[in-house]
Amino acid sequence: MAALVVPTYRQPPGIYRAARALRWVGGIVLVLLIVYAATVAVSAYEAAHATVESRNLSNVLVANGDLDISGSFTLSNPGWYAIEGVQLTARLANTSGVYLGTATAGPQTVDGGSSALFPISIALPIAGSTAAESLLFVDQYIDVNAWANVTYAYLFPLSVTLAESRSWGAPFEGFHATVGTPSMVGGSLFAPVTLLWTNHASFVEQGSISFIVDSAGGATCGGGSDPMDVAPDSAYDETEPVTLNPGCSPLGGELLASVTIDGSSTPLPPEPIP
Amino acid sequence: MSAPANASAPRTTEVVGYRIPSLGYRILVAGFRLILSFVAFIALPVTVLAYVHSRGVAIPVSIAAVTLWGLALMVLSAARYVLKPTVAYGPLSIAVAGVLFAYLYYLVILSPYRFVVPGGSASVAAGYSTFLEILMIVPAVDFFAGILTTIEDAAHPKERLPFDYPA
Repeated sequence: MAALVVPTYRQPPGIYRAARALRWVGGIVLVLLIVYAATVAVSAYEAAHATVESRNLSNVLVANGDLDISGSFTLSNPGWYAIEGVQLTARLANTSGVYLGTATAGPQTVDGGSSALFPISIALPIAGSTAAESLLFVDQYIDVNAWANVTYAYLFPLSVTLAESRSWGAPFEGFHATVGTPSMVGGSLFAPVTLLWTNHASFVEQGSISFIVDSAGGATCGGGSDPMDVAPDSAYDETEPVTLNPGCSPLGGELLASVTIDGSSTPLPPEPIP
Repeated sequence: MSAPANASAPRTTEVVGYRIPSLGYRILVAGFRLILSFVAFIALPVTVLAYVHSRGVAIPVSIAAVTLWGLALMVLSAARYVLKPTVAYGPLSIAVAGVLFAYLYYLVILSPYRFVVPGGSASVAAGYSTFLEILMIVPAVDFFAGILTTIEDAAHPKERLPFDYPA
């Protein structure tokens, strides 16, 4: 090693001290950021095991002419850092691609080591002939386009998009009503009315179903009402004799039915009588 | 015996020496530092990227690019250490900071990192530009430190050596 001895000042020059101070600042910032990044990496690894637990997501309730799909999901965050601004948006379309509705949840923050409950709800009006009406009677696939935006560990924005098709079980799958040949019994004219469908929804259809038989001219020939208690994946198949008003022929007319669940009545599509 | 008129000068000015390690020694140490910088700049990021790629996830930056940037930083850092006693130290410090700054900027413009979760229909876009922008403080500060060292070496050659290599 070469050793030289020269006269100099023990106190370093100002420009030297400034350069050294800057390098110290850079070094400290670097160390802090490396430590932060390491903790984020470990925390993110933990958060990657975050569980999304859905609750009653398939609950369906027909009420007030709307098909209400409500439920909730719980997001747990086992990481150290908060998941901020969790906002979920889901856009639903039926098999034909017709837009049904949008469900949103959040924004909400899930602190590290905790979990949060996100309620979601979507009301699909089924009155008339909207696209949602088919959800009552036809099993199908629903296109779900969902996206969620979050910020993790204060500095890392994440955007998750999900596109998938989910099978949908119609609560009145294959709904069909027929009016049989009228016959005279005891001086009154009766017609057997048969109602049948299969409950492919996840909830119990408990309530009543009522119907009226209209003539081709729109006059009411008769009607009836039955209680119903149809478990999921069970069929409803009931035939009831209906007393027809004298002189009223149901031929060429239609049968109008409606179901009442939890006090709310929902009309079913009219069934033509050949 | 009376003291000379400038007797107070030695109280503020002291004789301090410096001992510059030999070139061979500096090259040897630079070699060890190369191992560390190889791990930091190439081995670690390439291992992580290769692991992610092997899981079927698209990687945000190519392994070749990471290797090239890492090699540039390794070589410049080693050269800066070997040439620290010379006037090339300041410009090389500027060069290292500039390359690191450019590397981080290159990574920033690749943000967000978009990938599809294997086996699923979910895609994720992860933004990391804010973190990298904060990290860019480090080369920015080193850049100015390099400028100051360059100015100092130009104005007062070897003035810093007793403090960089105290005897």
